[in-house]
Amino acid sequence: MAKIIAEMVIDAVTMELPDTKTVKFKWPDGYDIDFKTGQFITVYWPDTPNYKRAYSLSSCALDRGFFEVTVKRDGKMGTRIVDWARVGDKMSVIPPTGRFLPVLEPNKHLICIAGGSGVTPFRGFVRDATRRKLDTKITILYSVRTTNDIIFNQEFRQLEQENPNFKFQVTCTRLPETDPWTGRRGRIDIEWVKSHIADMANTVFYACGPTELVENTEHMVVHDMGVPKAQMLLEKWG
Amino acid sequence: MSNVPSDLKYAKSHEWVRVQGDTATIGITDHAQHELTDVVFVELPAVNRQVQAGEACAVVESVKTASDIYSPVSGQILEINKSVVDNPALVNTEPYSGGWFYKIKLSQPAEAESLMNPDQYKSQIEGH
Repeated sequence: MAKIIAEMVIDAVTMELPDTKTVKFKWPDGYDIDFKTGQFITVYWPDTPNYKRAYSLSSCALDRGFFEVTVKRDGKMGTRIVDWARVGDKMSVIPPTGRFLPVLEPNKHLICIAGGSGVTPFRGFVRDATRRKLDTKITILYSVRTTNDIIFNQEFRQLEQENPNFKFQVTCTRLPETDPWTGRRGRIDIEWVKSHIADMANTVFYACGPTELVENTEHMVVHDMGVPKAQMLLEKWG
Repeated sequence: MSNVPSDLKYAKSHEWVRVQGDTATIGITDHAQHELTDVVFVELPAVNRQVQAGEACAVVESVKTASDIYSPVSGQILEINKSVVDNPALVNTEPYSGGWFYKIKLSQPAEAESLMNPDQYKSQIEGH
């Protein structure tokens, strides 16, 4: 099927956090497209066709009939979507593309390092692996400022229950000392990452989020840990 | 390899500064536009606004992200580039010429002197 731009109706919206919304785009009749988990779509409002934004899919390739993206209130587009997009609105959608793809093979361990809204494509990774009951191990190492900034917290906790090969690990960087959070605090560092690796040769690293986090992670994994670049995929501003 | 003109000063946050007398022209670097990918929206400060060095005073949005632009120097906004507002792609195609953002009357000219020179900026961007 040709890569056609389709106008899609917003079928559902979910506020994940006060500044983060998941939008579900319903495929129009006759739309049937091949794509891969981890890819991104590019969207625009029909009244501003020159103003486009790309968002990683937070749904997965097993989800047929719709695309989901999870958008933070960021910039003009993010603000319009989070504050104004409603069920029934229409947006134009350029089909999925991108190479930030999970290596969902039996002996692999995917270490998925995320900051902020960079966690959204990993929801697709885990959904895909869980539904297909794959043996691939997936560990998300997620950096947020506070416990109020964890996107998909309940859903990832539920997926941990359903999928014994999946772990969701959160670290908070800006929690007050008085906060009752008993989980990890501080930035993602080499010791924390290493503590999750059992078989380096079969580990694939992913980093998605703000540029600084992605670049620091790349430096840590490739330079400090000596992991070949081929074992790492990056998605800045995902 | 990103283009780093030899006649400009640079901020760590990837803005360039061209000083001419007591005024300076500000834009973002070739490296920055490359990292941002296709720029689709630019919001610039109001003329006459007073800004402080390090203050967020503009927004540039690409297909992948929205980023604040921090003024590398303090002063009063003299002029903004309306062409780049109408045609944000100029940031990608002409980052050091047609893609400039604003001109500012320097209130503390020494700030510009303390910015990075081209070699220092090259070292910064090649460090990644």
